Amino acid sequence: MTALEAVSVYLPPVRTPIESLAGPLGLTSMQVRLFHRFHGLRAVGRDPDTSLSGLLLKAAAGLDALRGREHRVRYVLYARAMPVVAPYPVNPLHEVCSALGLGHALAFTVTHQSCASGFLAIDLAGRLLAADPDAADDPADQAGPLALVLAGEKAFTHDAQVFADTTFFGEGASACLVSAFGVRDRLLAYASIVRGDFDSATGENDARLQREYRPLLAEVMLRALAEAGLTLDDIRVILPHNVNMVTWQRMCVLLKFPRDRVLLDNIPDSGHVFCADLFVNYQTACERGLLQPGDRYLAAAVGAGGGATFAAMVFEH
Amino acid sequence: MAIPEIGTDAEFRRQVVDTLTTTLARLLDRPEPVTEDMRLMEELGLSSTLALELLLECEDRLEILIDVEQMDQDQMKTVGDLAIFVAGNSRSS
Repeated sequence: MTALEAVSVYLPPVRTPIESLAGPLGLTSMQVRLFHRFHGLRAVGRDPDTSLSGLLLKAAAGLDALRGREHRVRYVLYARAMPVVAPYPVNPLHEVCSALGLGHALAFTVTHQSCASGFLAIDLAGRLLAADPDAADDPADQAGPLALVLAGEKAFTHDAQVFADTTFFGEGASACLVSAFGVRDRLLAYASIVRGDFDSATGENDARLQREYRPLLAEVMLRALAEAGLTLDDIRVILPHNVNMVTWQRMCVLLKFPRDRVLLDNIPDSGHVFCADLFVNYQTACERGLLQPGDRYLAAAVGAGGGATFAAMVFEH
Repeated sequence: MAIPEIGTDAEFRRQVVDTLTTTLARLLDRPEPVTEDMRLMEELGLSSTLALELLLECEDRLEILIDVEQMDQDQMKTVGDLAIFVAGNSRSS
């Protein structure tokens, strides 16, 4: 069973207040007030002196579980919200692999599900590893193949900094070591709803997406729970995507789930860290002692852009 | 939850309706008056973002804080429905 062996996160130490970004982004004072009052967004991470590969390397630098096991890493998957992030022939993923001693690994990017691509990357990593001829269905196996899932992006452009009066993106990165049959954190279920019809190119589907956003997110979360044979009552904590506060406050009402068991800590001052939200929030949950061995937790994300993907995963810590 | 002094009484609800209708007309740049029975989405084309802007202006003018997380758009078809929600889910700021 797919398992998250270890997670490391890098968030820039300096936070930039969103009002200081308003001018360059052409946001009105009313839009900034809405972000503050209802979306609960105050600041985001910006690291102007660090490149995209630098962000990923800073996350990987904290992944102690990788040290000495580089030779076991067969796959490096880079989960990305944006399809293009570097001019040819620059390849941040290959730069990172080379710097980490993972030049031997099969490295590729997982994208086109926007900020839900991280979930797909975990699922793909687990399935690739399980199909590997050297994989052994034994949690004690100390020689089996591993995958490294990377996430995190630079907020280069207007669209990579702010999204449709809904969220602010924050720079940062995560690195997660995945195994096929590890003991923690075991992936119990993965569900996704891919809706290409919510294409945002013309804007004509935006109102429909707004209407269906929360019901579809609830549906995919309940679908993942059903696949795991669980209900919301079995869930210790929900790790949300960091889109904004009001969306998740209203999701709690819709799901009848206690708001204090949804980890909203990182939204105000880190914003939506692209595909890394799951890992950022996982680390916070561990630091706060919210997860005990055996606890089940639910993670959810929506990737909206060229279509929309609603994704959820259930894990056991 | 509403507090007693602004509560859900008819006078406060009337203030909310007046604020919503005048603000909506301005936000939507609509020369015709907005009335209580108008449907927010189908008739006025109110988006989620504009709805939040409307509520923020309502908070400013009436000096209240609205508990938006309790909002259920399916239950709020008209301007009057929204006024009832605001009147019943706000407190003094």
